[in-house]
Amino acid sequence: MSRIPFENVRVWRRMPKSVRRRIAFLVVADLAILGFIGWRTAGSGTSFADEASRMVPNVAPIVLAALGLTGIICCGAIDLSIGSILGLAGTVFGILHARGCPPWICFSACFLTAFSVSAYNGLLVRWLRMPAIIVTLAGLAFYRGVALILADVGARGFSEQFTIQGAAYHAPGKDYAGAILVAVLLVTFLWEWFGKTPRTWLAVGSSETACRLSGLRPERIVLQAFVVGGVFLGLAALLEVTNHITIEPARLGLGFELNVIAAVVLGGTSIFGGEGSYVGTALGGLFLYLIGPAMLYAGVNEYWRTAVQGGAILAVISIDCALGRKRKLLEELR
Amino acid sequence: MPQPLVELCRVAKSFGGVQAVKEIDLTIDSGQIVGLVGENGAGKSTIIKLLSGVYPPDRGTIRIAGREVHFASPRDALAAGVTTIQQELTCFAHLSIAENLLMGEAWPRRKWGGVDWTALFAEAGRRLHEFGLSLETHRTLAELTAAEKQEIAIAGALARRARFVILDEPTASLTEPEVKRLFSHLRRLREQGVTILYVSHRLDEIFELSDRIVVLRDGSLVATHRIGQVDARQLVHDMVGRPLEQVYPRTRSGLPGAPLLELNEASRAGMFRNVNLAVHAGEIVGLAGLVGAGRSELARAIYGLYRLDAGAMKLCGRPWQPSHPQQSIRSGLVYVPEERKRQGLVLGHSLAESISIGFSDRLTRFGLIGRRSERRLVTDAIGRYDIRAADAGQAVATLSGGNQQKALLARWLEREPEVIILDEPTRGVDVGAKSQIHALVDSLAARGKGILFVSSDLGEILGMSDRILVMNRGTIETELRGPEMTAHNVILAASGLYQPADSTAPRQSREPEHGPP
Repeated sequence: MSRIPFENVRVWRRMPKSVRRRIAFLVVADLAILGFIGWRTAGSGTSFADEASRMVPNVAPIVLAALGLTGIICCGAIDLSIGSILGLAGTVFGILHARGCPPWICFSACFLTAFSVSAYNGLLVRWLRMPAIIVTLAGLAFYRGVALILADVGARGFSEQFTIQGAAYHAPGKDYAGAILVAVLLVTFLWEWFGKTPRTWLAVGSSETACRLSGLRPERIVLQAFVVGGVFLGLAALLEVTNHITIEPARLGLGFELNVIAAVVLGGTSIFGGEGSYVGTALGGLFLYLIGPAMLYAGVNEYWRTAVQGGAILAVISIDCALGRKRKLLEELR
Repeated sequence: MPQPLVELCRVAKSFGGVQAVKEIDLTIDSGQIVGLVGENGAGKSTIIKLLSGVYPPDRGTIRIAGREVHFASPRDALAAGVTTIQQELTCFAHLSIAENLLMGEAWPRRKWGGVDWTALFAEAGRRLHEFGLSLETHRTLAELTAAEKQEIAIAGALARRARFVILDEPTASLTEPEVKRLFSHLRRLREQGVTILYVSHRLDEIFELSDRIVVLRDGSLVATHRIGQVDARQLVHDMVGRPLEQVYPRTRSGLPGAPLLELNEASRAGMFRNVNLAVHAGEIVGLAGLVGAGRSELARAIYGLYRLDAGAMKLCGRPWQPSHPQQSIRSGLVYVPEERKRQGLVLGHSLAESISIGFSDRLTRFGLIGRRSERRLVTDAIGRYDIRAADAGQAVATLSGGNQQKALLARWLEREPEVIILDEPTRGVDVGAKSQIHALVDSLAARGKGILFVSSDLGEILGMSDRILVMNRGTIETELRGPEMTAHNVILAASGLYQPADSTAPRQSREPEHGPP
């Protein structure tokens, strides 16, 4: 019946208008900032490739964790404990390293910790039948506390931080971050393109009642989003933890969840669920990170940068909302 | 002889001691369109919910195609072939049409496991085509009109092999051509052997569509008519029954004074159009009409919540163009909203705060509320409006509906407004509080205020009003005065069927409304 013959065009069209508009905006904005950085690096004689390779290990964990959270937010849920989970995974990594475990055991323990705690969050939301924001807000404090207890009990003579020595322990975060990020992004985009599961998350976020009426089980679908989010968060934790020389259980990943949520929302995902996309989140995470280096090259005063970053987020979202509102008004009058 | 598809056998349901449905026997023959009519509170929506599995009956049995059914959830009802198209459609607004239609089923896959979108969109397109629709199935539902969403819901129901479709007030948000389209769909469904229960307040639609009409009144089935054997007059008679003998207060002189509120050809797209009305000092003007006719929208536009697209308003003789409700309140016009819990009161507040919030600007000095004068005024008001509460500090949420409504009225009336718009002021209010509110409204009119009284309660609007304006599809077509003010006439006028007895009186013909271009 359709008049548009190309499948990929329809995949674009089946996204809500607001998401499409945000993706288009972010593509332009990201390219503009990258272009600006390229221009400044060329001017100052440093290599753009060097700059990019320094960026990737920093941007990868945020983008990966944001991809995981996208699914959860699309369901109408949220996970606020991401930063603490990261801290817990880092602590487990540090303890095992201090006990002399080989790298691969440390890596898999780090991944599995983050994955299972995220999945456990999903289970809690399902069992307690409480809003995810409350359950994970409790988790935010609880998992950080568990990390501190573990560090105290598990590592002899522990004082404040672990120092990770040996290049092998830093391989994923420093050397392979780019490759892992690209591979995960490819798989994720393909899944978004051809998968049914991400669409059921959006369905739950749109209307739980409608889901029940069409024979789906909303609780199960939300749990699924948390489990999938755990896979992403496990990878994010692995890359973030191995990118650090020192791991402080009390500080690792502090405030990380706020950056991640900002990336998701910036990417056009509705905070109330029902609309959103992986592509948007990836672009949003990139934009959020790029503002930092861009200000550096633009010569913005160091003390001003955080405020400018916050202002940029607000500007993007409010311009978008204003445009959307105007369009809605016009449609109403039509 | 057609087989009965749905049988209700001595089915009863009550809520907290109130009998919503009293031992009803109802059979619906297969392949028919049955219209279900009744006044507000007659038990229509309870019947719909019993049939669609929202809750089980207290007593009695429901049989479908001869088999007894016990629905534990709406899913069970769906599985038995009963689909309900709600007034408020439940759908996935941001997913595509195809996904909405096929959610909950297995989707076509490619060899390597990915969703075959081409096949999915084609399958959805085929289902729509079977139903006579051609829409691009990859568009999201949010882009569609209410009518298109409804058509998709019906098409989806058919694809799931629904045998029995219940439609609850389906035309409330449709324009005239869309209604015609819906009717042609329903007639085609009937030809395919689908049975339809059509629930509506609009008698004209019921007459146009149904094969049989079932009338409910106060939870009982009072009549079943074959189409052609009944006229509107008879039907209304069945719906209303014997008029309730209730005394309404009347201390006002009934002689209207100067016009306080005047509307001239007021219009707002999608809400109301070409409305002319006047409310005079000392007069209660009833505004009747069906849900969705645009009464509340009109009231809110007068209050300054919506802007007019065209036309003019006058308040106390001066041109009136409110930009914000605050301006209305300062100019002596108040609006008491329809849903007091959602739009009127802050439920966690104390009674004193709820009342004084209406006139706190009069109590403040240097931005602070004078507690003593607040307490004095509030105590006064509680006494005068006879609000039953333990003390002024009691939370509003814990008061009864009637006392909440009285508190709300007290809040606004303490400002001595000139024009008062009351939107369903006695909905969900007990009998005692109801007559107190009626007496209050009457005394306001006696003191020379102008009152616009919006109500769906027939007895009340007939008893309280000096004259009644009836709204139908966004405009006021009929004004009833004196002996014309009867329940029959109000019901007929609300569906656009009223013919004045005096044939020389000009009557606006009911032009089919065309959708916005």
